[in-house]
Amino acid sequence: MEWEELQATWAQLGQELEEQKKLTKEIIMKMTQEKFTNKFRTLTQIETVGAIICYAAAIGVLVNFNELNTWYLALCGILTLAFITILPTMVLRALAKIRNLNIIQGTFKDNLRTYTKAKNHLLRLQRTGIMASFVSLFICLPVAAKLLSNKNIFEIGLKPTAWIGLGVVVILMFFFSRWGYRGYKKVTSAAENLLRDLE
Amino acid sequence: MIKEKAFTQLIQEHQGMLFKVTSLYTDTKEDQEDLFQETVFQLWKYFETFRNESKITTWMYRVAMNTAITHLRKSKKRPNAVAVEHLVMLKTENHDPVWEDRLRQLYQQLNKLNVLEKGIMLLLLEDKSYKEISEITGLAPSNVGTRISRIKKKLRENLVK
Repeated sequence: MEWEELQATWAQLGQELEEQKKLTKEIIMKMTQEKFTNKFRTLTQIETVGAIICYAAAIGVLVNFNELNTWYLALCGILTLAFITILPTMVLRALAKIRNLNIIQGTFKDNLRTYTKAKNHLLRLQRTGIMASFVSLFICLPVAAKLLSNKNIFEIGLKPTAWIGLGVVVILMFFFSRWGYRGYKKVTSAAENLLRDLE
Repeated sequence: MIKEKAFTQLIQEHQGMLFKVTSLYTDTKEDQEDLFQETVFQLWKYFETFRNESKITTWMYRVAMNTAITHLRKSKKRPNAVAVEHLVMLKTENHDPVWEDRLRQLYQQLNKLNVLEKGIMLLLLEDKSYKEISEITGLAPSNVGTRISRIKKKLRENLVK
Protein backbone atom coordinates (compact mmCIF):
# COMPACT_ATOMS: atom_id res chain seq x y z
CA MET A 1 0.00 0.00 0.00
CA GLU A 2 1.20 3.46 -0.85
CA TRP A 3 0.98 6.44 1.49
CA GLU A 4 -2.01 7.83 -0.43
CA GLU A 5 -3.83 4.53 -0.03
CA LEU A 6 -3.15 4.53 3.71
CA GLN A 7 -4.60 8.01 3.93
CA ALA A 8 -7.65 7.08 1.86
CA THR A 9 -8.29 4.00 4.02
CA TRP A 10 -8.00 6.09 7.14
CA ALA A 11 -10.31 8.75 5.74
CA GLN A 12 -12.91 6.10 4.92
CA LEU A 13 -12.70 4.85 8.52
CA GLY A 14 -13.45 8.40 9.60
CA GLN A 15 -16.48 8.54 7.33
CA GLU A 16 -17.80 5.19 8.53
CA LEU A 17 -17.44 6.31 12.14
CA GLU A 18 -19.08 9.61 11.36
CA GLU A 19 -22.12 7.82 9.98
CA GLN A 20 -22.37 5.57 12.98
CA LYS A 21 -22.28 7.98 15.85
CA LYS A 22 -24.06 6.00 18.45
CA LEU A 23 -23.25 7.52 21.81
CA THR A 24 -26.17 9.26 23.43
CA LYS A 25 -25.86 11.85 26.16
CA GLU A 26 -27.08 9.30 28.69
CA ILE A 27 -24.44 6.75 27.68
CA ILE A 28 -21.65 9.32 27.89
CA MET A 29 -22.58 10.42 31.42
CA LYS A 30 -23.18 6.83 32.46
CA MET A 31 -19.67 5.91 31.30
CA THR A 32 -18.23 8.73 33.39
CA GLN A 33 -20.19 7.71 36.47
CA GLU A 34 -19.28 4.05 36.00
CA LYS A 35 -15.57 4.77 36.19
CA PHE A 36 -16.12 5.98 39.74
CA THR A 37 -18.46 3.15 40.69
CA ASN A 38 -16.09 0.53 39.28
CA LYS A 39 -13.48 1.46 41.86
CA PHE A 40 -15.65 -0.38 44.36
CA ARG A 41 -16.70 -3.28 42.17
CA THR A 42 -14.10 -5.79 43.42
CA LEU A 43 -14.68 -4.84 47.05
CA THR A 44 -18.42 -5.26 46.63
CA GLN A 45 -17.97 -8.64 44.94
CA ILE A 46 -15.72 -9.91 47.73
CA GLU A 47 -18.04 -8.56 50.43
CA THR A 48 -21.10 -10.04 48.71
CA VAL A 49 -19.51 -13.50 48.57
CA GLY A 50 -18.50 -13.09 52.23
CA ALA A 51 -22.02 -12.02 53.17
CA ILE A 52 -23.59 -14.99 51.36
CA ILE A 53 -21.29 -17.38 53.26
CA CYS A 54 -22.20 -15.65 56.54
CA TYR A 55 -25.94 -15.80 55.80
CA ALA A 56 -25.67 -19.49 54.87
CA ALA A 57 -23.86 -20.16 58.15
CA ALA A 58 -26.53 -18.18 60.00
CA ILE A 59 -29.26 -20.34 58.45
CA GLY A 60 -27.28 -23.42 59.53
CA VAL A 61 -27.08 -22.16 63.12
CA LEU A 62 -30.75 -21.17 63.15
CA VAL A 63 -31.97 -24.52 61.83
CA ASN A 64 -29.95 -26.40 64.48
CA PHE A 65 -30.40 -23.88 67.26
CA ASN A 66 -32.25 -26.36 69.51
CA GLU A 67 -29.02 -28.40 69.74
CA LEU A 68 -27.47 -25.57 71.72
CA ASN A 69 -28.97 -27.04 74.85
CA THR A 70 -27.40 -25.00 77.63
CA TRP A 71 -27.97 -21.31 78.33
CA TYR A 72 -24.33 -20.41 77.65
CA LEU A 73 -24.28 -22.28 74.32
CA ALA A 74 -27.56 -20.59 73.36
CA LEU A 75 -26.06 -17.21 74.28
CA CYS A 76 -23.00 -17.98 72.15
CA GLY A 77 -25.38 -18.97 69.34
CA ILE A 78 -27.28 -15.69 69.54
CA LEU A 79 -24.07 -13.65 69.58
CA THR A 80 -22.72 -15.67 66.64
CA LEU A 81 -25.93 -15.06 64.70
CA ALA A 82 -25.75 -11.35 65.43
CA PHE A 83 -22.12 -11.17 64.34
CA ILE A 84 -22.55 -13.05 61.06
CA THR A 85 -25.69 -11.23 59.97
CA ILE A 86 -25.47 -7.65 61.21
CA LEU A 87 -21.89 -6.83 60.26
CA PRO A 88 -21.94 -8.08 56.63
CA THR A 89 -25.26 -6.28 56.09
CA MET A 90 -23.86 -3.03 57.43
CA VAL A 91 -20.72 -3.32 55.27
CA LEU A 92 -22.79 -3.99 52.14
CA ARG A 93 -25.02 -1.03 52.91
CA ALA A 94 -22.02 1.25 53.44
CA LEU A 95 -20.52 0.12 50.13
CA ALA A 96 -23.85 0.64 48.35
CA LYS A 97 -24.00 4.17 49.70
CA ILE A 98 -20.60 4.98 48.26
CA ARG A 99 -21.36 3.31 44.93
CA ASN A 100 -24.60 5.25 44.63
CA LEU A 101 -22.90 8.60 45.02
CA ASN A 102 -23.73 10.57 41.89
CA ILE A 103 -20.59 12.43 40.87
CA ILE A 104 -22.26 14.05 37.87
CA GLN A 105 -24.99 15.80 39.78
CA GLY A 106 -24.43 17.88 42.88
CA THR A 107 -21.58 20.20 43.65
CA PHE A 108 -18.05 19.01 44.19
CA LYS A 109 -18.14 20.13 47.81
CA ASP A 110 -21.33 18.20 48.56
CA ASN A 111 -20.06 15.09 46.81
CA LEU A 112 -16.79 15.16 48.67
CA ARG A 113 -18.56 15.70 52.00
CA THR A 114 -20.96 12.82 51.37
CA TYR A 115 -18.14 10.59 50.19
CA THR A 116 -15.85 11.37 53.13
CA LYS A 117 -18.67 10.61 55.54
CA ALA A 118 -19.48 7.32 53.82
CA LYS A 119 -15.80 6.40 53.59
CA ASN A 120 -15.15 7.05 57.28
CA HIS A 121 -18.22 5.01 58.16
CA LEU A 122 -17.01 2.12 55.99
CA LEU A 123 -13.50 2.16 57.45
CA ARG A 124 -14.90 2.40 60.99
CA LEU A 125 -17.08 -0.61 60.26
CA GLN A 126 -14.08 -2.52 59.00
CA ARG A 127 -12.07 -1.74 62.13
CA THR A 128 -15.00 -2.78 64.31
CA GLY A 129 -15.40 -5.93 62.25
CA ILE A 130 -11.74 -6.84 62.64
CA MET A 131 -11.82 -6.42 66.42
CA ALA A 132 -15.13 -8.20 66.69
CA SER A 133 -13.87 -11.12 64.60
CA PHE A 134 -11.15 -11.87 67.17
CA VAL A 135 -13.71 -11.90 69.98
CA SER A 136 -16.25 -13.80 67.90
CA LEU A 137 -13.70 -16.50 67.15
CA PHE A 138 -13.98 -17.56 70.79
CA ILE A 139 -17.77 -17.22 70.71
CA CYS A 140 -18.26 -19.13 67.45
CA LEU A 141 -15.90 -21.93 68.44
CA PRO A 142 -18.22 -23.56 71.08
CA VAL A 143 -21.17 -23.19 68.70
CA ALA A 144 -19.29 -24.80 65.81
CA ALA A 145 -17.94 -27.59 68.05
CA LYS A 146 -21.43 -28.36 69.31
CA LEU A 147 -23.18 -28.22 65.95
CA LEU A 148 -20.50 -29.93 63.86
CA SER A 149 -19.15 -32.55 66.33
CA ASN A 150 -21.75 -32.50 69.13
CA LYS A 151 -19.06 -31.58 71.68
CA ASN A 152 -19.55 -29.10 74.49
CA ILE A 153 -16.10 -27.58 74.82
CA PHE A 154 -17.15 -25.73 77.99
CA GLU A 155 -17.34 -29.15 79.63
CA ILE A 156 -14.56 -31.12 77.95
CA GLY A 157 -12.16 -28.24 77.26
CA LEU A 158 -9.71 -27.99 74.36
CA LYS A 159 -6.84 -30.35 73.62
CA PRO A 160 -3.33 -28.79 73.52
CA THR A 161 -3.22 -29.29 69.73
CA ALA A 162 -6.49 -27.40 69.38
CA TRP A 163 -5.05 -24.49 71.39
CA ILE A 164 -2.04 -24.43 69.07
CA GLY A 165 -4.37 -24.49 66.06
CA LEU A 166 -6.35 -21.64 67.56
CA GLY A 167 -3.16 -19.65 68.06
CA VAL A 168 -2.19 -20.18 64.42
CA VAL A 169 -5.67 -19.08 63.30
CA VAL A 170 -5.40 -15.90 65.39
CA ILE A 171 -2.00 -15.08 63.87
CA LEU A 172 -3.27 -15.73 60.34
CA MET A 173 -6.36 -13.65 61.04
CA PHE A 174 -4.18 -10.80 62.22
CA PHE A 175 -2.19 -10.71 58.98
CA PHE A 176 -5.26 -11.26 56.82
CA SER A 177 -7.15 -8.44 58.56
CA ARG A 178 -4.21 -6.09 58.18
CA TRP A 179 -3.93 -6.91 54.48
CA GLY A 180 -7.68 -6.50 53.93
CA TYR A 181 -7.84 -3.22 55.81
CA ARG A 182 -4.93 -1.81 53.83
CA GLY A 183 -6.73 -2.81 50.63
CA TYR A 184 -9.83 -0.94 51.78
CA LYS A 185 -7.80 2.14 52.60
CA LYS A 186 -6.11 2.00 49.21
CA VAL A 187 -9.36 1.78 47.25
CA THR A 188 -11.14 4.45 49.27
CA SER A 189 -8.17 6.82 49.00
CA ALA A 190 -7.97 6.27 45.24
CA ALA A 191 -11.67 7.10 44.92
CA GLU A 192 -11.23 10.17 47.09
CA ASN A 193 -8.34 11.38 44.94
CA LEU A 194 -10.51 10.81 41.92
CA LEU A 195 -13.19 13.01 43.45
CA ARG A 196 -10.68 15.68 44.39
CA ASP A 197 -9.46 15.68 40.79
CA LEU A 198 -12.94 16.70 39.74
CA GLU A 199 -12.63 19.93 41.68
CA MET B 1 -26.16 21.18 33.64
CA ILE B 2 -24.47 23.55 31.18
CA LYS B 3 -21.19 21.77 31.70
CA GLU B 4 -22.85 18.39 31.22
CA LYS B 5 -24.57 19.48 28.03
CA ALA B 6 -21.43 21.01 26.55
CA PHE B 7 -19.40 17.96 27.49
CA THR B 8 -21.78 15.38 26.02
CA GLN B 9 -22.05 17.42 22.85
CA LEU B 10 -18.28 17.51 22.56
CA ILE B 11 -17.96 13.75 23.03
CA GLN B 12 -20.76 13.10 20.58
CA GLU B 13 -19.09 15.26 17.96
CA HIS B 14 -15.68 13.68 18.39
CA GLN B 15 -16.52 10.09 19.25
CA GLY B 16 -15.05 8.92 15.93
CA MET B 17 -11.72 10.49 16.77
CA LEU B 18 -11.76 8.93 20.25
CA PHE B 19 -12.57 5.57 18.72
CA LYS B 20 -9.59 5.84 16.39
CA VAL B 21 -7.15 6.72 19.17
CA THR B 22 -8.44 4.04 21.53
CA SER B 23 -8.51 1.33 18.88
CA LEU B 24 -4.94 2.11 17.88
CA TYR B 25 -3.59 1.43 21.35
CA THR B 26 -5.62 -1.69 22.16
CA ASP B 27 -6.04 -5.10 20.62
CA THR B 28 -9.37 -6.36 21.85
CA LYS B 29 -12.86 -4.92 21.78
CA GLU B 30 -13.14 -5.08 25.58
CA ASP B 31 -9.84 -3.30 26.08
CA GLN B 32 -10.80 -0.65 23.52
CA GLU B 33 -14.11 -0.03 25.26
CA ASP B 34 -12.38 0.20 28.60
CA LEU B 35 -9.86 2.70 27.25
CA PHE B 36 -12.64 4.66 25.56
CA GLN B 37 -14.49 4.90 28.87
CA GLU B 38 -11.34 5.92 30.72
CA THR B 39 -10.64 8.59 28.09
CA VAL B 40 -14.15 10.03 28.39
CA PHE B 41 -13.70 10.10 32.15
CA GLN B 42 -10.33 11.87 31.88
CA LEU B 43 -11.84 14.43 29.51
CA TRP B 44 -14.67 15.03 31.98
CA LYS B 45 -12.16 15.45 34.80
CA TYR B 46 -10.21 18.14 33.00
CA PHE B 47 -13.05 19.63 30.96
CA GLU B 48 -13.37 22.72 33.16
CA THR B 49 -9.65 23.36 33.12
CA PHE B 50 -9.62 23.72 29.33
CA ARG B 51 -8.88 27.39 28.72
CA ASN B 52 -9.24 27.83 24.98
CA GLU B 53 -5.51 28.42 24.66
CA SER B 54 -5.46 25.74 22.01
CA LYS B 55 -8.07 24.16 19.78
CA ILE B 56 -10.44 21.88 21.65
CA THR B 57 -9.48 18.97 19.38
CA THR B 58 -5.79 19.54 20.16
CA TRP B 59 -6.60 19.29 23.85
CA MET B 60 -8.75 16.20 23.26
CA TYR B 61 -6.02 14.43 21.30
CA ARG B 62 -3.53 15.25 24.02
CA VAL B 63 -5.74 13.83 26.79
CA ALA B 64 -6.72 10.80 24.71
CA MET B 65 -3.15 9.93 23.79
CA ASN B 66 -1.81 10.44 27.31
CA THR B 67 -4.61 8.26 28.67
CA ALA B 68 -3.84 5.58 26.08
CA ILE B 69 -0.14 5.59 26.96
CA THR B 70 -0.91 5.38 30.70
CA HIS B 71 -3.36 2.58 29.97
CA LEU B 72 -0.66 0.71 28.03
CA ARG B 73 1.82 1.12 30.87
CA LYS B 74 -0.71 -0.17 33.35
CA SER B 75 -1.56 -3.21 31.29
CA LYS B 76 2.21 -3.66 30.68
CA LYS B 77 1.74 -4.88 27.16
CA ARG B 78 1.79 -3.64 23.65
CA PRO B 79 -1.07 -4.30 21.37
CA ASN B 80 0.02 -6.63 18.63
CA ALA B 81 -2.78 -8.65 17.16
CA VAL B 82 -5.04 -6.79 14.80
CA ALA B 83 -8.59 -7.80 15.44
CA VAL B 84 -10.30 -6.01 12.65
CA GLU B 85 -13.64 -6.91 14.19
CA HIS B 86 -13.03 -4.34 16.87
CA LEU B 87 -11.92 -1.76 14.36
CA VAL B 88 -14.94 -2.42 12.28
CA MET B 89 -17.43 -2.04 15.07
CA LEU B 90 -19.00 -0.83 12.16
CA LYS B 91 -21.71 -2.95 10.76
CA THR B 92 -21.87 -1.16 7.54
CA GLU B 93 -24.68 -1.54 5.14
CA ASN B 94 -22.14 -1.19 2.38
CA HIS B 95 -19.92 -4.05 3.51
CA ASP B 96 -16.61 -3.55 1.73
CA PRO B 97 -14.18 -6.46 2.19
CA VAL B 98 -11.47 -4.72 0.16
CA TRP B 99 -11.52 -1.69 2.43
CA GLU B 100 -11.63 -3.90 5.55
CA ASP B 101 -8.58 -5.76 4.29
CA ARG B 102 -6.78 -2.48 3.70
CA LEU B 103 -7.75 -1.29 7.13
CA ARG B 104 -6.33 -4.45 8.62
CA GLN B 105 -3.10 -3.92 6.72
CA LEU B 106 -2.97 -0.31 7.84
CA TYR B 107 -3.32 -1.29 11.49
CA GLN B 108 -0.69 -3.98 11.02
CA GLN B 109 1.70 -1.32 9.79
CA LEU B 110 0.81 1.02 12.63
CA ASN B 111 1.33 -1.70 15.20
CA LYS B 112 4.92 -2.11 14.06
CA LEU B 113 5.64 1.41 15.28
CA ASN B 114 6.49 2.37 18.84
CA VAL B 115 4.01 4.23 21.05
CA LEU B 116 5.12 7.75 20.11
CA GLU B 117 5.56 7.00 16.41
CA LYS B 118 2.09 5.49 16.38
CA GLY B 119 0.63 8.66 17.85
CA ILE B 120 2.46 10.87 15.36
CA MET B 121 1.32 8.65 12.52
CA LEU B 122 -2.29 8.82 13.69
CA LEU B 123 -2.15 12.61 13.76
CA LEU B 124 -0.55 12.70 10.34
CA LEU B 125 -3.29 10.48 8.95
CA GLU B 126 -5.80 12.82 10.56
CA ASP B 127 -4.29 15.57 8.44
CA LYS B 128 -2.88 17.52 11.33
CA SER B 129 -0.20 20.10 10.61
CA TYR B 130 3.30 19.75 12.03
CA LYS B 131 2.47 22.62 14.38
CA GLU B 132 -0.58 20.83 15.73
CA ILE B 133 1.30 17.53 16.04
CA SER B 134 3.97 19.41 17.95
CA GLU B 135 1.35 20.92 20.29
CA ILE B 136 -0.30 17.58 20.94
CA THR B 137 2.83 15.50 21.43
CA GLY B 138 4.97 18.16 23.08
CA LEU B 139 7.77 17.60 20.55
CA ALA B 140 9.56 20.51 18.89
CA PRO B 141 8.21 21.16 15.34
CA SER B 142 11.61 20.38 13.81
CA ASN B 143 11.71 17.12 15.75
CA VAL B 144 8.24 16.28 14.43
CA GLY B 145 9.48 16.68 10.86
CA THR B 146 12.47 14.43 11.45
CA ARG B 147 10.38 11.78 13.12
CA ILE B 148 7.79 11.82 10.36
CA SER B 149 10.50 11.28 7.74
CA ARG B 150 11.80 8.33 9.74
CA ILE B 151 8.34 6.85 10.20
CA LYS B 152 7.53 7.17 6.52
CA LYS B 153 10.83 5.51 5.65
CA LYS B 154 10.11 2.70 8.08
CA LEU B 155 6.64 2.24 6.65
CA ARG B 156 7.91 2.25 3.07
CA GLU B 157 10.42 -0.47 3.96
CA ASN B 158 7.73 -2.52 5.66
CA LEU B 159 5.35 -2.09 2.76
CA VAL B 160 8.02 -3.24 0.27
CA LYS B 161 8.65 -6.36 2.38
